[in-house]
Amino acid sequence: MVPYETAAAAPPIPIGNPPASSSSSSSNTIIPKPPEIDGLLAGAGYKVRSSDLRHVAQRLERLETAMLNSPSQQLSLLASDAVLYNPSDLSTWVDSLLSELNQSQSLPSLPSDLSDLMSNPTALDGSWMDQQLPPPTAAVHNQQPPQLTVVTAVEEDSGIRLVHMLMTCAEYVQRGELALAGSLIQDMQSLLTRVNTGCGIGKVAGYFIDALGRRVFAAGGGGGVPGGSAYENEILYHHFYEACPYLKFAHFTANQAILEAFDGHDCVHVVDFNLMHGLQWPALIQALALRPGGPPLLRLTGIGPPSPDGRDSLREIGLRLAELARSVNVRFAFRGVAAARLEDVKPWMLQVNPKEAVAVNSIMQLHKLLGPGSPGDPARPAPIDAVLGWIRSLNPKIMTVVEQESNHNQPAFLDRFTESLYYYSTMFDSLDACALQPEKALAEMYIQREICNVVSCEGSARLERHEPLANWRERLTRAGFRPLHLGSNAFKQASMLLTLFSAEGYCVEENEGCLTLGWHSRPLIAASAWHAVAETAVGAVSDVPVVGGVVL
Amino acid sequence: MINNSNSSNSDPVRAGLPARPWPGLLPTSKSFGNFGDANCMEQLLVHCANAIQSNDATLAQQILWVLNNIAPPDGDSNQRLTCAFLRALVARAAKTGTCKILATTAARYCYNNNLLPLSTHRFSAIELATFVDLTPWHRFGFTAANAAILDSIEGYSSVHLVDLTSTHCMQIPTLIDAVASRFESPPLIKLTVAAPTDSSLRPPVLDLSYEELGSKLVNFARSRNVAMEFRVIPSTHSDGFSTLIDHLRIHHLLYPEATPPAAEALVINCHMMLHYIEDESTAIIASPSPRDAFLKSIRSLEPTIVVVVDEDVELTAGNLVCRLRSAFNYFWIPFDAVDAFLPAAGSKQRQWYEAEVCWRIENVIAQEGMQRVERAEGKARWVQRMRNAAFREAAFGEDCVAEVRGMLGEHAAGWGLKKEEEDQLVLTWKGHNVVFATAWVPA
Repeated sequence: MVPYETAAAAPPIPIGNPPASSSSSSSNTIIPKPPEIDGLLAGAGYKVRSSDLRHVAQRLERLETAMLNSPSQQLSLLASDAVLYNPSDLSTWVDSLLSELNQSQSLPSLPSDLSDLMSNPTALDGSWMDQQLPPPTAAVHNQQPPQLTVVTAVEEDSGIRLVHMLMTCAEYVQRGELALAGSLIQDMQSLLTRVNTGCGIGKVAGYFIDALGRRVFAAGGGGGVPGGSAYENEILYHHFYEACPYLKFAHFTANQAILEAFDGHDCVHVVDFNLMHGLQWPALIQALALRPGGPPLLRLTGIGPPSPDGRDSLREIGLRLAELARSVNVRFAFRGVAAARLEDVKPWMLQVNPKEAVAVNSIMQLHKLLGPGSPGDPARPAPIDAVLGWIRSLNPKIMTVVEQESNHNQPAFLDRFTESLYYYSTMFDSLDACALQPEKALAEMYIQREICNVVSCEGSARLERHEPLANWRERLTRAGFRPLHLGSNAFKQASMLLTLFSAEGYCVEENEGCLTLGWHSRPLIAASAWHAVAETAVGAVSDVPVVGGVVL
Repeated sequence: MINNSNSSNSDPVRAGLPARPWPGLLPTSKSFGNFGDANCMEQLLVHCANAIQSNDATLAQQILWVLNNIAPPDGDSNQRLTCAFLRALVARAAKTGTCKILATTAARYCYNNNLLPLSTHRFSAIELATFVDLTPWHRFGFTAANAAILDSIEGYSSVHLVDLTSTHCMQIPTLIDAVASRFESPPLIKLTVAAPTDSSLRPPVLDLSYEELGSKLVNFARSRNVAMEFRVIPSTHSDGFSTLIDHLRIHHLLYPEATPPAAEALVINCHMMLHYIEDESTAIIASPSPRDAFLKSIRSLEPTIVVVVDEDVELTAGNLVCRLRSAFNYFWIPFDAVDAFLPAAGSKQRQWYEAEVCWRIENVIAQEGMQRVERAEGKARWVQRMRNAAFREAAFGEDCVAEVRGMLGEHAAGWGLKKEEEDQLVLTWKGHNVVFATAWVPA
């Protein structure tokens, strides 16, 4: 730990005051900087100037050490007598520390620092600090512990410290200083052992520390996502589906749009970019079965990764869905397209019939196409453009797009890291509120894999390249799509179903015809619908591919 | 019926996955037309109810989503019926299991989706009289009861008529008319009614007080040269009308010369009110059940005639799904019938009519305990209760049957009349039992 003596060498004036009014007798002054409030902590409710952060962090370290060294009965007393210290104005606290420091004009004494806490009117009861601590020596641990009633604050402050260490570590990573990053990771890991990792910031921090570790310590850079079989992936997906409403929201919002788009059409074809277990489709099949005028002929093409063990899992799902469709008198045909990556799919594999109304359904898949694509021919279009191009050529009646509402694809690592820390913290908060075990733990692992991919992977291995709705709007418009407003039915359904069956705190919002689902006004998932505009016939290739006359 | 794919059961690897089969539905035959769809909707409602009961939020959400799309509140009769049940299930879900929100959200959902507001209309006397006469639902019981009562009060100079109806004395004007035209010197009619004191506002709700209603009836009777007295006893089903019973007993003790079989007839007219009395499923004390106790008390008053008219449906099951099935297979009738006599979708009367049915469906599905008052139990069980209470059936005369048929002729063709077991009259819609009417005398 860096002793505070360095500051004594140039005693700082309270930041914000002009140098002339300094009470310091030293000729050294610190140029006052504009009081920039630290954004990260502000998000957590603490007001700390960025310039004060280092000081604050060190203070907290000492406080924590003092706590650890206090005799156990004192500690248990603290635990039962905990007074919640409101550190919403940490800067004032630090200011008072600093001004006390100036007046003492000697090595900063820890007791006077801490005794200034008593003068903070927002915080304490008077019985807080009886003892003066001896001045710090090299052996910091010999201090007599103060009587503290600030258990919760220390816990929270450790959380803040973790966040700051995480940010610092990410910065080291961005600058390529992997050794520093590595040592900081170890510090964080040891701090983690003293923090409650069961919930809140401790838990999220744990996952991010783990992901950073994979990145920094993995041989050959780019640590992989924790390995898992396709079967494991399915289990985690399923529990994520059950534990929280995000996927369910995606499904019934997309289904509502598709159902309405199919109104009046007798031959319809749904292309699902990630079939998984086909959880989205039974409800749509049932709704189509009982729609006025009777059900259409329904074709479903499900895209998914090839099964590793020779099993044709796509076909199995298709069979189950076919059985359901038969039981409700819906003529149904299924086709499975096995592809490791979406960009490997070619439109002819989908066998789209020009007479049918096509719905393309992409739930959290498009962002995987934003990577560099396969190396080689630079003249080839980027994967996303290629795929959007052939989607457009299918002339779909509707394309439903659901994506994570966050930017985890920024070029600078630190930006990605920061944004994903906010995003996944919010998501974990929402999970804490609602889920039961074991769904919750497995859902967290599902999210953890995303975190790992965002943080520790690069290049073609980094698939989770989430981008916000605004970016997708722009991209899809450029690719020749126009938005379809999700109607009021979709909004009402989403609101009703969420309020009935999910914890309070989730909110559905409408955003220019799109719907978002978020936690406490932070949108986390955005759903939108699109259709292709007619291509102008300026020497244009025919929109609709001539598929080899496949008719059912 | 859960439709598990066989492959998932035999595959040991897959067996570990949380199964999410869509509950299988019986294949419906297109030849049933409307009934096929209704069958599907019933099954979806049943699965939804099961999902709500077992806190299966995911499945409940999915089915509610489907139902929302296939059952608009302004669709055909099956869709409107399903919509009413959907609303009731939403109300139930709002109270139970994983839900934490208040019923206001369910109400807001209904409002947002243009579902009929369930706040009930308050009827004026004229409005209610016209409303009640729109269908034979009540007129059937009125006509049959009045005919039986008229036969039974022959020769009495005074009639103590205890009217327990869900329709606020709407039977009385026709009875007064009939008395006036049948008897040269009509008897004095002492009308006693039990006024609701509960705030459940079970529709139809009256806009005037019972005192005002009573004075109107007395005036009407006077205009027909029938002397009438009107008494209101605050008494409700929640205590088995015990206050009313006490009043009747006291009355007989105070006026022994009026005790039957002397000059005063005692007529107890029960029209769709008895099913609000607690039955065995809610009664805290196992026996005697409040319904049986009420009938025994009535019997002990040695009435001249007791008329029991009620709905022929079984809604007392504790199991939600059983109740749902029974209710679905009964309440389709009013939705179907309303199309025949009130085709104008926007008419106020139609709104009132369907709002009443929706209220009842919601009560059956979403309420429990004391709040669930709609506990009809069907003809067979009421007949058994009456026999157990030492009553025997009195036949409806041929004139009576003819009169009922004549009345039915004024309504849509789907309504019909059946005679069961010699002495029981049953109103039918397209052949399905709707309301039964029986008359009883002390055995």
